[in-house]
Amino acid sequence: MTDLVQLASSGLALGAIYALIALGFVAIYRASKVFNFAHGDLLAFGAFAMVAASGIGLPWPLALLAAMLATGLLAMGVERVILRPLVGRPVFVTVILTIFVGYLIRTAILLIWGSNPRGMPTPWEPTATVEILGAKVLLGSLAALAGAALALIAYFLLMRFAKLGLAMRAASADQESALALGIPVGRTLGLTWLIAGMLAALAGTFLGMFPRQVEVNLAFVALAAFPAVLVGGLESALGAVVAGLLLGLLQVLAQAYVNPLLGHFGHNFHMVFPYIVMIIFLIFRPYGLFGEAEVKRV
Amino acid sequence: MLAIHNLEVVYNQVVRVLGGVSLRVDAGETVALLGPNGAGKTTLLRALTGLLPIHNGVITKGRLLLEETELARKAPERIVRAGLVQVMEGRRIFTDLSVEDNLRAGAHTRRDGEVRRDLDNYFTLFPRLAERRRQQAGFLSGGEQQMLAIARALMAKPRMLLLDEPSLGLSPLLVAEVGKLIRVIQQQGIAILLVEQNAALALSLAARGYVLEGGKVVIDGPAQTLREDPDVQEFYLGGAGQRRDFRQAKHYRRKRRWLS
Ligand SMILES: Nc1ncnc2c1ncn2[C@@H]1O[C@H](COP(=O)(O)OP(=O)(O)O)[C@@H](O)[C@H]1O
Ligand SMILES: [Mg+2]
Repeated sequence: MTDLVQLASSGLALGAIYALIALGFVAIYRASKVFNFAHGDLLAFGAFAMVAASGIGLPWPLALLAAMLATGLLAMGVERVILRPLVGRPVFVTVILTIFVGYLIRTAILLIWGSNPRGMPTPWEPTATVEILGAKVLLGSLAALAGAALALIAYFLLMRFAKLGLAMRAASADQESALALGIPVGRTLGLTWLIAGMLAALAGTFLGMFPRQVEVNLAFVALAAFPAVLVGGLESALGAVVAGLLLGLLQVLAQAYVNPLLGHFGHNFHMVFPYIVMIIFLIFRPYGLFGEAEVKRV
Repeated sequence: MLAIHNLEVVYNQVVRVLGGVSLRVDAGETVALLGPNGAGKTTLLRALTGLLPIHNGVITKGRLLLEETELARKAPERIVRAGLVQVMEGRRIFTDLSVEDNLRAGAHTRRDGEVRRDLDNYFTLFPRLAERRRQQAGFLSGGEQQMLAIARALMAKPRMLLLDEPSLGLSPLLVAEVGKLIRVIQQQGIAILLVEQNAALALSLAARGYVLEGGKVVIDGPAQTLREDPDVQEFYLGGAGQRRDFRQAKHYRRKRRWLS
């Protein structure tokens, strides 16, 4: 039981991080129809920005805010300068371009911060635990869950009730139609990338807290969140979040219970496990958890 | 209200689609713009509402004045704020947004606090939309979608409305409904430029009309005169049915993405 609580808490924390990554990815896809393969690099950039912001003495919450803003602005710049001029080009062009952008960001990180791993600053002892149902749960896990929950709730409130959120939904449904109503579509795109970048930095900050360290390869974790995007249904924000949480949980449980069964072969089984889930899932539900064929009427 | 002088539009730097079009709509007046498929009617509306750049088109000559405001090359947002709104061909409602959100999106440029009240007014005017206000707009019938598209544009509180083939693809019964709605708009004192293939409908609603062919105005005058013109009778008041069906198949749901 205590094992299970411990695993569930770290699984959910990992899942919350996946949810943040997947949500940003889906937001960008819905707005720009771009598969942003640079998303993991934005995440890594955010983690380094967090380390740097704390390094210059900013208190933790301010440092987090600064790191999120810096990453958001970087994402916004990528959209404005590199992707927007390629209007109407085939999808593979933008895909290749985002891979290239990711490479640029990675190079920039190495140039600015070097290749040595850093420790992620935390306002509490990195190994501090809280007792829940008799199990020792990392405070960092709880913080990741709480932080992600706050960000996700804020995102859904914005999209559901704010005028800006409505403009974003309208623009992603039909750009020209939105323009014709006076909605500044270019600006909504920029803001979508800003938000996605901020979510990536938040994910990077929490990810860097776990025994894992802050280094460039943090970017590859975003690849593990990719199945969450597809399982959730590429266009569904809610699906991305639910699938992210589930995959995090499954991955941690697989690591604890399935890997040992597979002996040598199972050494890193939990890393491929999300992909196996994704493939099986997509065979039975090609539109994802909450995805559906688009409503159309002629 | 609206004055177009000698408008020229070129697509992709080479294709000239409008070659010196002049046109006028007075305050509160309804004017019909007729013409065959490909004449440049939609292009003219795009020039007015700042939607040419996303189609790789440019205004190479001419002036577009909404009262004293020059519209040429302005951002769509500024044009809507100036009081000119377009209902695009093919309705183009946001299918996965709710009916109510579609209407709210129409009010995006407004800063006054009356949006709520206007929303209620439209729901009173269109009980069928009110019943479905929380449903996805994609589930509405074609006629309801057209009403929604027009109501959505009206939510911007325009002084002038541009309607691009509102009767396209609708049954005769629904065409009559659209006609009724246009009369309601006229009574509110909103000027209308009505682009139509259905000349009978357009000329029954408009005070004056223009016929555009190959990017030039070939006939213009009072609606009565146009109705009696032998050419207009031959080409626009008879045998339009088949052509409309063909156009519907071709144009409907032609969505473009330009900023992605
Ligand atoms: N984006 C575009 N690029 C190039 N040519 C275009 C474009 N849009 C329309 N055209 C051409 O301009 C002409 C006028 O089109 P349009 O304004 O849509 O006519 P209408 O609305 O009267 O049917 C047509 O010959 C059409 O092929
Ligand atoms: Mg047209």
